[in-house]
Amino acid sequence: MKQFLLILTFLSAARWGWTQEIDFNRQIRPLLSDNCFKCHGPDESKRKAKLRLDTEAGLRAELDDHKLIVPGKPMESELYRRIAHEDEDERMPPAKSRLKLSAAGIELVRKWIAQGAGWQEHWSLRPLAHPQPPAVEESGWPINPIDQFILRRLQKEGLSPSPDEEKTRILRRLSFDLTGLPPELEEIDSFLAAKEPDAYGKVVERLLEAPSYGERMAWDWLDLARYADTNGFQGDGSRTMWPWRDWVVRALNDNMPYDRFTIEQLAGDMLPEATMEQKLATGFCRNHMINGEGGRIAEENRVEYVFDQIETVGTVWMGLTVQCARCHDHKFDPLRQRDYYQLFALFNQTPVNGGGGDPATAPAIRAPDSLQYGKLEELKRGITASAAEVAKLEDGVFSRDEGKDAAQSESAKGLPKKVIEALSRSPGKRNPAQLSELEKHYKESSAGYAALLKKLREQVSGRQKLEKSFVKVMVMQDRPNSRKTFILYKGLYNQKREEVSAEVPQSLPALAEKAPRNRLSLARWLVDPSHPLTARVTVNREWQKFFGTGLVKTVEDFGSQGEKPSHPELLDWLATEFIRSGWDLKALHRLIVTSATYRQSARLNDQLSGKDPANRLLGRGPRRRMPSWMIRDHALAASGLLARRLGGPSVRPYQPKGIWAEATFGKMRYRQDKGENLYRRSLYTFWRRIIGPTIFFDEAKRQTCEVRKTLTNTPLHALATLNGITYVEAARVLAQRVIEKAGPEAGDRIQMAFRLATSRIPSAGELEILLRRLEILKRQYSTKEEEARKLLAVGDSPRNEKLDAIEHAAYAGLCSLVLNLDEALTK
Amino acid sequence: MDMDPVTQYNAMLTRRHFFGRSSAGIGTAALASLLGGNVEATPGGPGLPHFASRAKRVIYLFMNGAPTHVDLFDYKPKLKELHGKPVPQEYVGGKRFSTMTGNPKGKLMLSPIEPFHRRGQSGAWVSDLMPHTAGIADDLCFIKSMHTEQVNHSPAVTFFLTGSEMAGRPTMGSWLTYGLGSETDNLPAFTVMTSVSKGTTCGQIFYDYYWSSGFLPSRFQGVKFRSGGDPVLYLSSPDGVSRPVRRGILNDLARLNQLRYREVADPAISTRIAQYELAYKMQASVPELSDISEEPQHVLDLYGPQVKERGTFAYNCLMARRLIERGSRFVQLMHAGWDQHNSITTELYTQCRDTDQPSAGLVQDLKQRGLLEDTLVIWGGEFGRTPFIQGNLKDRKRWGRDHHPYAFSVWMAGGGVKPGITWGASDDLAINAVKDKVHVHDFQATILHLLGIDHERLDFKFQGRRYRLTDVHGKVVKGILA
Repeated sequence: MKQFLLILTFLSAARWGWTQEIDFNRQIRPLLSDNCFKCHGPDESKRKAKLRLDTEAGLRAELDDHKLIVPGKPMESELYRRIAHEDEDERMPPAKSRLKLSAAGIELVRKWIAQGAGWQEHWSLRPLAHPQPPAVEESGWPINPIDQFILRRLQKEGLSPSPDEEKTRILRRLSFDLTGLPPELEEIDSFLAAKEPDAYGKVVERLLEAPSYGERMAWDWLDLARYADTNGFQGDGSRTMWPWRDWVVRALNDNMPYDRFTIEQLAGDMLPEATMEQKLATGFCRNHMINGEGGRIAEENRVEYVFDQIETVGTVWMGLTVQCARCHDHKFDPLRQRDYYQLFALFNQTPVNGGGGDPATAPAIRAPDSLQYGKLEELKRGITASAAEVAKLEDGVFSRDEGKDAAQSESAKGLPKKVIEALSRSPGKRNPAQLSELEKHYKESSAGYAALLKKLREQVSGRQKLEKSFVKVMVMQDRPNSRKTFILYKGLYNQKREEVSAEVPQSLPALAEKAPRNRLSLARWLVDPSHPLTARVTVNREWQKFFGTGLVKTVEDFGSQGEKPSHPELLDWLATEFIRSGWDLKALHRLIVTSATYRQSARLNDQLSGKDPANRLLGRGPRRRMPSWMIRDHALAASGLLARRLGGPSVRPYQPKGIWAEATFGKMRYRQDKGENLYRRSLYTFWRRIIGPTIFFDEAKRQTCEVRKTLTNTPLHALATLNGITYVEAARVLAQRVIEKAGPEAGDRIQMAFRLATSRIPSAGELEILLRRLEILKRQYSTKEEEARKLLAVGDSPRNEKLDAIEHAAYAGLCSLVLNLDEALTK
Repeated sequence: MDMDPVTQYNAMLTRRHFFGRSSAGIGTAALASLLGGNVEATPGGPGLPHFASRAKRVIYLFMNGAPTHVDLFDYKPKLKELHGKPVPQEYVGGKRFSTMTGNPKGKLMLSPIEPFHRRGQSGAWVSDLMPHTAGIADDLCFIKSMHTEQVNHSPAVTFFLTGSEMAGRPTMGSWLTYGLGSETDNLPAFTVMTSVSKGTTCGQIFYDYYWSSGFLPSRFQGVKFRSGGDPVLYLSSPDGVSRPVRRGILNDLARLNQLRYREVADPAISTRIAQYELAYKMQASVPELSDISEEPQHVLDLYGPQVKERGTFAYNCLMARRLIERGSRFVQLMHAGWDQHNSITTELYTQCRDTDQPSAGLVQDLKQRGLLEDTLVIWGGEFGRTPFIQGNLKDRKRWGRDHHPYAFSVWMAGGGVKPGITWGASDDLAINAVKDKVHVHDFQATILHLLGIDHERLDFKFQGRRYRLTDVHGKVVKGILA
């Protein structure tokens, strides 16, 4: 019996290997992808020996006289035999490929085959499951299911979560993450004083409803939508796409469901009875660069625009590097060149011809920015109300049968022709001339009626005048007769090969058979709950906003060369939750920021710094330098300079002199704005593509789609925040603010400045350092009033001349220090 | 991790890795913080350079707009014979030219506009348009068999600098600083300066992607020295903030940041302290760099009369030498205006006047300081110009030449390149490279090789693919290696 048991143990050990089971997707696929797919992968034209290792069928293939893989028997499997071969000429991958499997890798493959060579579809293409949040021991910590997933993993690694973050710090983190702005001092006070258990939840709700929420969330969307105010390339003509930018802010503030957000931007023009707003949304697709150079071939340009459109869709919605399939089948992912051009066919139908550098290349519509949009809505409401009043009155005077218009009334007989003409239209549909005709006719006889007509006329003309002031926005629209699409050899516009028709990629769920093959169907297909990628890719990108790194770090690549998720079940749980909530972005953000995971202290302890320095396991809260645009907004907010007006044309804040002229040999000059426009949020800064705003660093280039955020540190960044006019002015205005508002005591003033910059009260030690510095600065300026006045003259905003210049300058120096503290630059 | 930030900061300073990568290994965590937690984005690790190299640094004199090889270096007597005759079809059949030329059929050949002579002991051909370059011919290695795939400026420049015609990949200077790091701790490892001759009508725009780090971390991006205002953006302290005032503020900034570090232990804070300290240093080192008052007259004279004028090519050449002396890795000077579609008899002269002496002076100056040994100087544009005319043969004042990618010339000097040789050749009309052809990717592979880098091994994974400067091509031109 004992012997039998031993044999059994031995057998199962041989069957399963001595260690735990190999995970194909995590351990084997990346190995095959890195080392084999280049010649034995999806690219048919480069495939060697007709051998394919990226599909299950390929791996299970029978070779001439032997099998590639014999489950359970590595020694009989050609795959193993070849990678482990002693003879260099026989061994795979071949030496000349410069690829090399490590001994550990070879051993993994052996074990995998020994364990039965189980196969799984690539993780991101598998249908979404709805994993149950795992049960965890220490049940006191989790607040919502996110925490259960995080905690389970931490416990598995022998780690434990960090305690809650201090109240001021979590409020600061939350405010910046949701609105891109610091909490106001009163908000901090009331949060600190709040006793009710759900004080935090209430702050979350307030911030989610703040107009600045949409502005903050829009920044990242503009980055991936490659939004800019000029076309790029040599001419770099200006364009007027800002009404689209304002549409994004409105949609995010209104919490438009992400499926609708998607459909409207990709195909709003094709929706039944598309509204102006829905057409405007498709400006997304037209944000690509436009080449207006004279010597360029128009068709070549046009083809490049379509490339850009589908590659953007690939990255934003599917996390796929579709661009790799432009010239040949994808080397690593199941995307054929044919798939690429079938997607191409969907976007190949606009009347865009690629010629010229018109900053509003047709198709374009006139659309309102947010300022105009508000006025327009107000006028529309006014017109509806006035028209109803007029109609009510006319119903009485021009009585008639149901379905007839006022002109057909008995009472209208014998009236002048022009009056009849006006009456034949319902009041709300009359133009100003018609209204004026009626008004003239009844001015004497019926003053009240005429007054009503006058009011309506003024409203209608007001609306017309407003609409005329709208700028042109490039949008999508399909031609009546479709354009043929061909596979383009090497992606060259004039090297047409086989004709293809519009279709979604073969390796993804099929489009409904009856669905027309057009952009609208594509958009709906992307947000179909059965699509394996869209929800995963989206929640991952949103996660990155809060934690700095996605659960899948390669937010732009969910293919086999991308990184595997750090928490696969959490990713899927979030994705399914997101779909279940009706693609509710605010709900997703709420879920993230109310989790215990997000609310942890960011303090790094020895245990965490040793085991997880990059915080991928999330055993502490996120602590990151703010993006440069947020640093600027913060400085403006802290000093009180920030102009909070939403939307409108892009603005031109401070930039070093000659910045455009130098790049363009004097052809373009930067005309800096005056007044309020110098202090608008960074989102509204005019973005010239050939020379972007110099005040920002580490930002997307706004030339093609970018989704990954980078943070680097160079002295150049420090120079910008120490010396740029924006920051020097903010320091001097902040100084004035605390001198005026915080009473006569230096300690109180410093404390207020410190709080405005860091959200917290300085410690006694910190205060002491700053007080001493203030004294030194005062001394330094005391004999140099001239110098002090120079410093106080930086920036356009007026200074309170009643303040003592020396004292003001000393505080300005101090405020510059405070605004450059690591803590002031960090959220 | 509990290393005191000031100690850590001092350690980092000695290791000189702020602008580029330190070859001495520093802790992964500290590096991670420098890169914003992007541990995997750290450069390829130790092992660079791949082999011992002669060149340690590069000055690339990029002649933007494409200099005319037929008028400057690629002497073809037959061109003189065929002047005014149609271009023989067998030389150009089936080739794509710019849309301005379209089909070259029937275009008339245009003789070089100035005489050529053999120069120095090596006997290299150089036109009278370039007397100073002619004078240093024995120090130069001419490549006359260059060819490229691009016929328009911006894609062709991008192709030269990044290996791809599409904007967005890292440029050569970024690759090199990424691979080799920096030898200076207070000046950028990769600097760019631009210039254009006065009165030039055909200047091309310098896009900032000509010095972009692409998908490499953005600290490997070229730092553009401006020709007006602060040489480096935001370099000067604001009016009314003196050096002592700034010093004091930064001292306390560091002190407070250090207190913070004790509290939250985030290594990014140590990086921040170093970052500000370095900014302060740069505020001194850049003006020191630009202060040429100590340069002796005989040195200034090498660079010609415009050397003291900021924004000129001559001034930039002198700055290049000063940068190199101070440990900069890659200096990219771009001079626009070589695009003579209709000004070969007019603006070409200005162009040569403004660049010939400074380029030659730079090589001489480096040589006399012993710096040419390990500094590679490159002179060249993005393509050549057509040996046939653009314009009307009768209207000499408006003679021009169009873009020409099939043959053109560049020169190199110093850093491991054979001096006094001419490599490769074009056909007898300078239309096609025929002997020992050098493709742009070969050229790039050779430059990397000279710096001790195997171009196939310096790569970076991005969007699921390993990218390198030479794409999937490139062969080192062994024949020019010293």
